Amino acid sequence: MGKKVRASKDSAVFSAVAYVVLALISVACILPFLLVVSASFTDEETIARFGYSILPRKFSLEAYGFIFKFPETIFRAYGITIVNTVCGTLAGLFLIAMTGFVLQRPDCRYRNKISFFIYFTTLFQGGLISWFILMTRYYHLQDHRLVLILPGLMNPFLIILMKNFIKASVPHEIIEAAVIDGANDFRIFTDIVLSLAKPGLATIGLFLALAYWNDWFTSSLFISTPAKYSLQFYLYNMLNNTQAMRQMAQTGAAIGVEAPTESVRMAMAVVCTGPILFLYPWVQKYFVKGLTIGAVKG
Amino acid sequence: MKRTLLTLVALCLAAAISFAGGTTQSQTAKRTTATGLDISQPVELQFWMLGDAPKDLPAIEAEVNKLAMADLNCTVKYNYTTWTDWSQKYQLLLTSGQPIDLIFTAEWTDYQRYAKAGAYKDITALMPVAAPVLNKFVDKSGWDGVKVGGKIYTVPAMYKEYVYDGFEYREDLRKKYKLPEINSLATMEQYLETVLKNEPGMVGIAETLAANQFSAVMSLTAEMLHPWLDRGMPQYGLAADNAKPREMFPYWGSAEHLADLQLFKRWADKGFWSRSILSSTEDIATMFQTGKLALKMAGINPNKFATDLVAIKATHPEWEIGYYPFSRTTGVVHPVHPTHNGYAVPAASKNPERALAFFEKMVTDKRYNLLTQYGIEGKNYVADNGYYKMVGDSNTNGFGRESMNGWAWRNPEYMLFAPSYDAVKKLFAEFDKVATPDLYNGFAVDYLPFQTEKTALDSVTAQYLAPLQAGLVPDVEAGMAKFMAEAKKAGLEKIQAEYNKQWLAYCDDMGIK
Repeated sequence: MGKKVRASKDSAVFSAVAYVVLALISVACILPFLLVVSASFTDEETIARFGYSILPRKFSLEAYGFIFKFPETIFRAYGITIVNTVCGTLAGLFLIAMTGFVLQRPDCRYRNKISFFIYFTTLFQGGLISWFILMTRYYHLQDHRLVLILPGLMNPFLIILMKNFIKASVPHEIIEAAVIDGANDFRIFTDIVLSLAKPGLATIGLFLALAYWNDWFTSSLFISTPAKYSLQFYLYNMLNNTQAMRQMAQTGAAIGVEAPTESVRMAMAVVCTGPILFLYPWVQKYFVKGLTIGAVKG
Repeated sequence: MKRTLLTLVALCLAAAISFAGGTTQSQTAKRTTATGLDISQPVELQFWMLGDAPKDLPAIEAEVNKLAMADLNCTVKYNYTTWTDWSQKYQLLLTSGQPIDLIFTAEWTDYQRYAKAGAYKDITALMPVAAPVLNKFVDKSGWDGVKVGGKIYTVPAMYKEYVYDGFEYREDLRKKYKLPEINSLATMEQYLETVLKNEPGMVGIAETLAANQFSAVMSLTAEMLHPWLDRGMPQYGLAADNAKPREMFPYWGSAEHLADLQLFKRWADKGFWSRSILSSTEDIATMFQTGKLALKMAGINPNKFATDLVAIKATHPEWEIGYYPFSRTTGVVHPVHPTHNGYAVPAASKNPERALAFFEKMVTDKRYNLLTQYGIEGKNYVADNGYYKMVGDSNTNGFGRESMNGWAWRNPEYMLFAPSYDAVKKLFAEFDKVATPDLYNGFAVDYLPFQTEKTALDSVTAQYLAPLQAGLVPDVEAGMAKFMAEAKKAGLEKIQAEYNKQWLAYCDDMGIK
């Protein structure tokens, strides 16, 4: 009896401590983001003078005005990023799941060799220059929209994760049973594996989607037509460009446009993170499960 | 449900692939230019420039292509690297062997190093054949200045300008406190002292530098106290007298160096800059703009001064901005080196002759030149009494003045300036009287032979020299001795010997005595 009371008292103490700690951690996570949002609405001169504050000291929409100066270009960049993310994630998921499925089949003869070959590329890579040469001189993808999608489709780490995930969640016996029932390999893949591996697909889909959404480097390297920039690169480059213009001597004419760099930086963070935040609640329930399964069995 | 998913995936792939587009080109009859250049095959030239493409570039490109198709049977595709990671991209473009026909060069994009490594085509013999007009248009000093190992790899720009530094200050504050005109270190000191005493919240001097260095004040003494110390020096502690450019002597560790550092210490003690200056990330431009900074330094050349004048006038019309170019004290000023702006034909180009012929048009043909510098007349700009006038403003006009970053194809005969540029022209006219040719800035040391020592030295300067220059070391003499000892350990002597060797070789090459 007494033991039980003590136990519940212990757990009450534990709960209290846990709540406090978790609340502190949440505040630590939310505060910086709040600062970012608030700074994005603050007047540039106020930031320079007084620094950042939780509530805007002097409210201003100047930063957003600067970003959306040419609305059609930024919405086009949004469109390109969304197309990249949706197409890349769906196509990538399909290809990665298919590869993972094949590689975990015990009746695939060279599965270990192929797995090792894929794994090997995570350790030793050709490097930037050879990649650039391959993309531009052999695939002729310079300034081509596909260059933003193709390189990210297959990722060795995700393939290995998927392979282990399917191995753990789809028992080989089910596949054998399906074979006896007359299903061919593709049918087995689409009807059985894809539905049993949903948590894994959600996890890897999220990884892929984030990678496509956040990608600015491929745009930076290969795209030279501004109309084809992805959102992240469009914004990042906008900032770099204003900084470069500041450092550069303007010969012959004074433009006299001073971009609000501090608040613009923050407004960009808001513009970039906003939409992708909506993705989390959707896939969160699969996300936790999927990540641990893949990790433990890995 | 699975079917729909599959269809969706297939559709996405198909949609992605359908982005792929192709262009076809038609054949025309055999043609040659007036100078006998065979142009019977139509080609598309790949033109690369640093920075960002202006918004209306496609319209300009279409106009240029109309002209180029008629004149040279070619079209051009203007490509831009953007300023994001431009130096990495510049290197990739040249090393990957992509067929590029024209690319920008400058001393700050390592023209010398790339030329020596064979990244550009040798155009010494090609110029008179492919671009005879341009070949004559560029004068002898221009051609001589860009030679590397006796050969020409780039076409230098012919506009003479001065990218020479100075500092900006608040002329209204100087008048408010009835201070003497700023024309020396002493009057500058007096200005800073008075302003800091009477204007609470103001900072004297600030600097934002990535490498944890504090070199802004260095340029003050270098430029104003030592007429012998040229722009960009000391390099690895070496400096040369303008009268005897061949002789590089060690400035680090010298009596002058010690005196300079002691002066910085005195300024720091007077509170001219913040004690945390070495870790400050505040933006100087914003600080000056918001009235927090009394003296703006670091890269303030006449052009920037003119830009700032307009910017300040827009936000704080009650202020008055003064400018003091360093060269007023020393009387030493050079126009930019010929390698500062140029265009080269990369080694991988398949059409070097056509590329040069086209570049000749861009520089010497008024139609091409005005189009690519200022846009379409009437739509983007108007020539108003010989001045450049933008149509609309930068929010509505998609092609500003020189927004293609056309520094390298400027033609002094066709150039149009905004009225605000008159301030710069006045300064340039002042410089013209004392200007001497720039001997040093065409030289870029190849640091591969002392790569290890350079890395070690860089960390030693960041650790020991930067605090000395920021006046944060109590005992200057001991601090300098410590820095010199550490620098020697890092291999300073080896670096200086190698630098000297390369510099003398360059002098022989360029005929510098």
